Amino acid sequence: MTGMHALQKMLGEHAHPRADRVQAGDFLEIEPDVFAFGVSYNAQEADKLEADLAELGVKQFPLKDKIFAFQDHGAPAPSGAFAAGQKKWREVFRSRGIPVADPGAGISHLIMTERGIVGPGTVVALRDSHTPTMGAVGAFAASLAGNVLALFSIGRYWLDVPRVSLVKLEGKLRKGVFGRDVALHINGRLRQRGALGQALEFGGSYVQALSMDMRFTLCNTATEVGAMASYIQPDRITLEWAEPRATRPIKVYETDSDFEYEKVWELDVSELEPQVAAPHAPDNVKALDEVVGTQINQAYLGSCASGRLEDIAAAAAVVRGRKVHPDVRFIVTPGSREVLNAAIRLGYIEALNDANAIVTHANCGACPGLHGGVLAPGDVAIACNTRNFQGRMGQGAEIYLASPATVAASALEGRITNPLKYMS
Amino acid sequence: MKLAGRVWKFPQDDINTDQIRPKMYAHLPLRDQAKHCLEMLDREFGDKVWSGDIVVAGRNFGAGSSTPAFAALIALGIAAVVAESFARVFFRGSISGGLVVIPCPGIVELVTNGDRIEVDTVANTVVAVTTGRTLACTPLPGVLREMVELGGEKAYLKARIAAASR
Ligand code: SF4
Repeated sequence: MTGMHALQKMLGEHAHPRADRVQAGDFLEIEPDVFAFGVSYNAQEADKLEADLAELGVKQFPLKDKIFAFQDHGAPAPSGAFAAGQKKWREVFRSRGIPVADPGAGISHLIMTERGIVGPGTVVALRDSHTPTMGAVGAFAASLAGNVLALFSIGRYWLDVPRVSLVKLEGKLRKGVFGRDVALHINGRLRQRGALGQALEFGGSYVQALSMDMRFTLCNTATEVGAMASYIQPDRITLEWAEPRATRPIKVYETDSDFEYEKVWELDVSELEPQVAAPHAPDNVKALDEVVGTQINQAYLGSCASGRLEDIAAAAAVVRGRKVHPDVRFIVTPGSREVLNAAIRLGYIEALNDANAIVTHANCGACPGLHGGVLAPGDVAIACNTRNFQGRMGQGAEIYLASPATVAASALEGRITNPLKYMS
Repeated sequence: MKLAGRVWKFPQDDINTDQIRPKMYAHLPLRDQAKHCLEMLDREFGDKVWSGDIVVAGRNFGAGSSTPAFAALIALGIAAVVAESFARVFFRGSISGGLVVIPCPGIVELVTNGDRIEVDTVANTVVAVTTGRTLACTPLPGVLREMVELGGEKAYLKARIAAASR
């Protein structure tokens, strides 16, 4: 038997019964360290959960002290139906003594890592499909994929131990090219099935020198290539970020030297140009210059892919002292209140506001197409959210995915624009 | 469990949750949402499909979000989805929710639209009734197999909690 990956060791340690040797394909019953739940807007779903819990005879949640609830999708409510649904969902948690984060606190993945609820070695269960984002701190973070009732009623869920592939990134980026361009390039290379059901580790000299903000951006994109989890081996950068925030013990797992990766993807980022994912798939990736000049109606900066401080800094640098094109709605949604506060302190928000960008509270914002920037049929958007499926941000609209700098430069010109000319 | 039904074939890869349950109808009751299931690929699918029919699809069926898109297929009465492969979140969510989902490499080539197929979740096979050709499906690990046989995660938990208190 060959060696184990750090993620596989994490799972083995959280398994019931505990498993010291696990391998890809094993199916484990796991007790997570953290169970996070995004408050939905669907009242029927809340009623059904309560009915199911009553049927199973569950009154208190066995994971009670490990549950965190958030309101990040479509909150505060854009309509009466949403308001009624969210009210019911909040009640599910509050009636059992579980606090619910307010709708301006931000996106679950950001809050949990920023607040040190999830750190190196944490096994976290969350329904959201972009849960792998949190692998950037060295956690095991995979979407629940079913299992909701199990986690509420018996406090455990089932995970298949994944095979692990490595994306090895070498080199340094050219000016005008950002972490998000690298992430989009990975989407294009691996396509939507490149890591189907696997975990995806990011490594190499580019990653070793990378900021935490951009590590989250890389790990976020694992979802778009079918991966169940992401991983970056915690290093000095991780620990300097995670230690002051930690609310639970940090544990750094190491991958055995004889571990065999399912596949190793080697990419050199040195020559990379700004990238874009054209409608309607996140792996429909091209060099940005192929679509430069395309007219846009909306530009969106935000989401769990690109709503962090570095993203906002890049956009603020582009628009500072300039004005958004009058025909464009440029919406900026910080990923969390921590990001918003820092962006205010550093003057980024002022620069964006002066440029006529619409700066909102911290949230998922327009990304899931629920409120605050829904597109009309025929609208074209350039956005740095996670995916551009047909209909995601509005029926009949087209979404181009790009980096925050590209989004900001395009907002200024009213058409897709290479940000390089705005980089001093 | 054994199922037989008429095939609706969507040979495309990467059919995503926004296509299975388009979000713009999220405010409607589930029944009405289901009418729009897969309409981006076949405008009348929601009207033409009968209860008991089986969807056959390409690779990575159910890519995308963790929203319970499978509920639209259940609401239409779809008996099972047999695909070359599934997106993990959709796959596991469907099993929990009581939709029979079967990964079966080779299925797109095995059948054409309108064929009848028989699915056996214990023997792990799919049979094309007219040609008699049989394919082996990817077997499920124990807990998931139990969930499929019992009809979903709730039924499984119910049985487990009852067994523990006995
Ligand atoms: S920002 Fe978008 S992709 Fe991320 S959790 Fe929110 S809705 Fe999902």
